[in-house]
Amino acid sequence: MPSRAERRRIGEWVLRAALLVTLGVALWRSMQPPIASRAGRAIAASAFERDLAQLVASSAVKSVDLSADALPSRAERDALTALRRNEVAVRWNGTPPSLAVEATRAREPEARARLHVTGAVQPTALVDSAGLLDSVRAGPGATVEAASIVGAVRAEQGKFAASAYAPVQEPRRAVLVLGRADWETKFVMQALSEAGWNVRARIPAAPNVDVHDDLILPLDTARYDVVVALDSSAADMATAIARFVAEGGGLVAAGGALEIDQLGRLAPARAGDRRPGRILLADDSVTTRDLPLRPLSLARSDAVSLQREQPGITLAARRAGLGRVLAIGYDESWRWRMLGGTSGLAAHRQWWSNAAGSVAPAREAAPRSSGDAAPLASLISSLGPPSSPVKSSSERSRDSLPIILLIIASACLLAEIASRRFRGAR
Amino acid sequence: MSDFVFATAQYESGDWDSAPLVPANIIDTIARYTSIDVAPSGVIVPLSSPQLFRYPLVYLTGHLPVRFGPSERANLQRYAERGGLLFVDDHNHDIDGVFHKTATEELTRTYGPIKPLGKSHSLYKSFFKFDDGPPTTSHELNGWGDNLVHQTLSGVERDGRLVLLYSSKDYSSEWNYHPENKRFLSVDNTKFAVNIVVYALTR
Repeated sequence: MPSRAERRRIGEWVLRAALLVTLGVALWRSMQPPIASRAGRAIAASAFERDLAQLVASSAVKSVDLSADALPSRAERDALTALRRNEVAVRWNGTPPSLAVEATRAREPEARARLHVTGAVQPTALVDSAGLLDSVRAGPGATVEAASIVGAVRAEQGKFAASAYAPVQEPRRAVLVLGRADWETKFVMQALSEAGWNVRARIPAAPNVDVHDDLILPLDTARYDVVVALDSSAADMATAIARFVAEGGGLVAAGGALEIDQLGRLAPARAGDRRPGRILLADDSVTTRDLPLRPLSLARSDAVSLQREQPGITLAARRAGLGRVLAIGYDESWRWRMLGGTSGLAAHRQWWSNAAGSVAPAREAAPRSSGDAAPLASLISSLGPPSSPVKSSSERSRDSLPIILLIIASACLLAEIASRRFRGAR
Repeated sequence: MSDFVFATAQYESGDWDSAPLVPANIIDTIARYTSIDVAPSGVIVPLSSPQLFRYPLVYLTGHLPVRFGPSERANLQRYAERGGLLFVDDHNHDIDGVFHKTATEELTRTYGPIKPLGKSHSLYKSFFKFDDGPPTTSHELNGWGDNLVHQTLSGVERDGRLVLLYSSKDYSSEWNYHPENKRFLSVDNTKFAVNIVVYALTR
């Protein structure tokens, strides 16, 4: 019968053996390759292309957890949607930026492409197939203009990107300017012409005497994009103009043209009494704030105020039939061009081109591809909202094993030391 | 809407005010033949002044040598760029005269080469029809000045529009009478002025 001291010694040897076994198990597990789950796969979006073939080919995969370290492409989203429809649980996690980009064109003859970017919470590069176009600093949204675009436009923020194609520019049709022989008519025509519009005009210069281009009629959308009516001299064409707008044409009406009954019924606003422009000192430059003005008052519930100066609304618009109507409150905008300093000429030209373009009918051809304009929204639409990262049971047990082994080893070591000390050994 | 104001250019050299009755006569003609709202009196505007840009058509004449100062030249270049039209008429009707020689030299330096306008130019049909080009003046027919009947006007165009119209026909003498006297004329010789004004307002 072993003595008590011998039993303790045997117990200490057992504890030492257990400690060595525990350390051996820990060493062995640390040298094992990761345990691959046969039923669940965790993959990163940036490596998705590499793993896609294996995922699709393996019928054993029951769930996919996608880590969104990049935004999956349209094709990759489609593949994940297809997996989900084949009863594979597809989840994704991560916080990708809500980056989105849209490419449009103003409806003007020499329209630059406009790139609207949102979700650029960090500096974002705008590139096309030919290289860098511009960069956008952090902010909720930004618009960048580009003279030309080659292929798709991509908004890139590290590994995250959104892409879009600009509509294909189509030739614009003519603008018909109706106004009396005065400086406003002349310089509106000149501004539009310089901006690339094909301008035709009818300008009464005396009773029964018009200065006009040949064959200005018929007034229809096959020949014209926009009619610019600058004063009451458009009255005899009001019926044709109303029909033109109903068919999809654009109307820009200013001054006395807004008082013509038929045009007034189409117009978004009425013009008030004329207020003189600012009295200029010798070297003053004219801006829109200094122009004579007939403040507009909105006449329709669907009218939208687009621009406002101190005395009131200066630009208002509405849809009428298939077309659009823009009312202008400025009088004598030509003074802006002639007296507007170094920038007045270009600003006046651009302003009038924008005004005509804002009511011109759409004639852009749709882009060949829609790109991937809002990839995060598309991802949520395809796969639902993000979920927390999910770990498999084997991963969970593998994660907790080192702690269990540590506790066992520590307990064995402490028990063995305590046993020796209590019996007086060192 | 603003009235058309007839503006006469005042320049630092020469006798810019040599035809003082021309403005009143042209204003009378514009009011008589057209529906253009025209101011009842003209203005005088210095070529070097920013006020020049208030008047997109300016008339310049004289007998004496013309030399533009730097500010006048710069102002005229900006004026042309923005769409203003300068109408220059040689009051001497003499291509060997000092006005013609100096004015064309200055204008060429300011605007670039001055070229003859063909008889089919839209200026000759912008209101009244002048199928034979610019109307002849009595001063040409009477053999005054250089004793020549000038067949064409000349000018400088930008983007298909005249920014400079130059005349050696001495319309300044032809039109420099009191409008009251127009009733003694069998044919109103100021009709071509209507074409210039209507052209400026519509092109």
